[in-house]
Amino acid sequence: MKKILPTSNAIIAVISGLLVLLGYFFPGVFGNIQSILIGWSIILAAFALLLGIFNLAFVHWKKTKAGGAGGINSIVLLVSLGITIILVSLSGPTGALSLWIFNSFQVPVEISLLAVLAVVLVYAAARLLTRRPKWYTVLFLVTVLIVLLGSVPLFFLGEVAPLVALRGWLAQVPAVAGARGLLLGVALGTVATGIRILMGVDRPYGG
Amino acid sequence: MTDIICPLCGKPNPPELDECKYCQAPLNASGFLAPSDQEGQENPFIVSSGDSDQSESQGLKPESTSPLEQAIPDWLKNTEANFLEGTEAKPESQAPDDIAEQIDSLLSQPSTPDNGVQPDIDDDWLASLLAEAGGESSPLSLQEEPLDEKEVPVNADLTGPSVEESNGDEGVLPPAQIEKPDWLTGLEASSKIKVEGEITPSEAFVIGAGVADTVESADTGSMDIPDWIGKIEPEETPSDQEEPGPQIAPAELPGWLEALRPDDSVSATEPVEDLSAADVVTAGPLVGLRGVINAHPSAIRARKPPTYSIKLRVTDEQRARVEMMVALLADEQKPKPLPSQPVLTSRNIFRLVIAAALILPIAWMIITGSQQVPAPQPGEVPGVVDFTQQVQAIPAGSPVLLAFDYEAGFSGEMNLAISTLINQLTIKNNFMTLVTTIPSGPALAESLISPSTSLEGNPGSYSYYTNLGYIPGGTLGLVGLALSPKSVLPYSLDGVNVWQSAPLDTVATINDFSAIIVLTNDPDTARSWVEQVGPVLKEDGTPLLIVTSSQAEPLIRPYYEANPSQVQGMVSSLAGGLAYGRSVGNIQQNGEWDAFSIAITASVLIILIGSISRAVMKLPMSGKKKES
Repeated sequence: MKKILPTSNAIIAVISGLLVLLGYFFPGVFGNIQSILIGWSIILAAFALLLGIFNLAFVHWKKTKAGGAGGINSIVLLVSLGITIILVSLSGPTGALSLWIFNSFQVPVEISLLAVLAVVLVYAAARLLTRRPKWYTVLFLVTVLIVLLGSVPLFFLGEVAPLVALRGWLAQVPAVAGARGLLLGVALGTVATGIRILMGVDRPYGG
Repeated sequence: MTDIICPLCGKPNPPELDECKYCQAPLNASGFLAPSDQEGQENPFIVSSGDSDQSESQGLKPESTSPLEQAIPDWLKNTEANFLEGTEAKPESQAPDDIAEQIDSLLSQPSTPDNGVQPDIDDDWLASLLAEAGGESSPLSLQEEPLDEKEVPVNADLTGPSVEESNGDEGVLPPAQIEKPDWLTGLEASSKIKVEGEITPSEAFVIGAGVADTVESADTGSMDIPDWIGKIEPEETPSDQEEPGPQIAPAELPGWLEALRPDDSVSATEPVEDLSAADVVTAGPLVGLRGVINAHPSAIRARKPPTYSIKLRVTDEQRARVEMMVALLADEQKPKPLPSQPVLTSRNIFRLVIAAALILPIAWMIITGSQQVPAPQPGEVPGVVDFTQQVQAIPAGSPVLLAFDYEAGFSGEMNLAISTLINQLTIKNNFMTLVTTIPSGPALAESLISPSTSLEGNPGSYSYYTNLGYIPGGTLGLVGLALSPKSVLPYSLDGVNVWQSAPLDTVATINDFSAIIVLTNDPDTARSWVEQVGPVLKEDGTPLLIVTSSQAEPLIRPYYEANPSQVQGMVSSLAGGLAYGRSVGNIQQNGEWDAFSIAITASVLIILIGSISRAVMKLPMSGKKKES
């Protein structure tokens, strides 16, 4: 049994991958089976999300039972989760109670986090030259200042055209080049991983 | 005068005594009456003769041991012959009838109180012992088959201690000097039980009781006594003992057998220990015996084992040391507390200054509604003009797919453009189909649609939209949506199958929507839409429009600027939202642009001042270090 299961899992995974891949090349022949397999994977992903929620609750339940310093945070999470589930179940996903929770808690909390992030980033940038007085630190700070000054008209100076142009060049050439390079690397890695999975060499599903 | 033989030590006692004067064992219950001097000495063979008769009556003939008789050495046969000759030559001092009476008195007297009361118990007890020893447990077999085995211990018992005592006190021949008949020799040879001197008095008592039962059950009147018993003359026994027997040539034994022989100097019948001080058994089948294990049922009764406390008993000093050790170990695990720092440090003050420098100007601009900073024009922000044209090109009343894939934290940056977009779609009465790939997307979409619809002056009146909810699976979900939106999202959040009613009943694929508008702050999400859904949209020329944040704009912009473009229009950041608003005639900004401008200006100033001041302050310090 220990030998049969890994082999059968590999066969299922390879055949499924090949059918989905062939669906792109021959949509008329394999389009339907590709659609069915993708539908199954979507259902599994939704179930995985549900499992993730249960796992989160279980982990914090254990932390609550164990006590300790973070126990109160786990209690807050569990209580919040329970209240949210109850209210959303009563009023529906887009009901008045659900929107009240969303607009009163989630939106302000997320916006506040980003606001604090802005303050922390400014503070870190102001201290960066003190902690790392290197040439690349200076280059980083200069780039940051150029992008900031070119993004918006300054309050007293107005729009500085050279800075706007320089900001556009920095954002579209060096930044996008680096990002595209990363994406190309990720894409090549994904292709290699896909081929290994299709060949049964990599078995992330176990075995 | 009849003495009572102690069942424990085997010594004769006067009949008026209730306890043995030697071992203090009770005599009334189980003592044997010793034969008087006139009646002759006690002879163990009396009982064995009865047993032999009984065995004969039960079919156990002595001839069955003929092979054993053949194995008897010649010296033993000679001894037997001499004995028989000697007894025949002497006149008979007692009649056989007297001997029979003596046997009856011997057998009936001691067995009257106990052994006669519970013969069956003894049989059962003996049967259980035999069964444990591997024999048959059948009662019938106990009565018939092992009868010869019972007889031998009886003989051995009665020839053991009683003869020894009488030998010392009354001059009876020792058992070693009494010549045994053939049948007894054969029985002894075939017996597995030890003979003379190796049987304890208790065993002799029990076995004797069994023999008595057997004798009682037999017809004593017809009992045949061997002739040699009647020929025994007790008065002449001491003389026989004194007379030297015929010289028997010692047998020549092999060396290994000589080595196995026990030491003759040690008497096998010698008592191992003095039992006079031992306790007397007061209950059970061994009642009255001394020096044996008490077989009282309570001794072997299964009872619940006593519970003992597991609490460790320690002294106060030990407890104090343990507490000290526990305290030491607890201190080892505790992290050393950091030295407390004052709340108002230079670092905290600097943080507060930065926060104040950012928050206060922003708040001031929003409160005052300042519009001093010129707003961006549609032509100045890439993608806004095309975006506006694509939205205007959407047929009125046609279905539009809106993907709310941005986090709620980016609402301040993106909501301006999205509100304007929803307002435009509402004006054109487009059917908005809301989907999302993030769990909080449905609530975000619903919360944004409601205020936007209220802008028309009819709050809550616009219901020409449906919220299909969350698409699980990320990129795979988008692929499924592109291939078959009905199968991925068959029902709305209200539980209605919207694909069967207008206007979505005309939508079979994602190309049937008039436009796909993605609202996202994540470049990866935008890329997934472009790469997974975009190729499907190309077939019918359905526009893919994106509203994004400033952080994702650099990565999405190449899709827009590509030729042919994969994104037909885009609105990015707050500047794009303002430009798009201006392009549709909405110039209201509520001071947001000025606040954004002054926040950026303040940030640049803080970074510059902070970096320069810190660098200036650090240069003298580094110079001092070099000098030192």
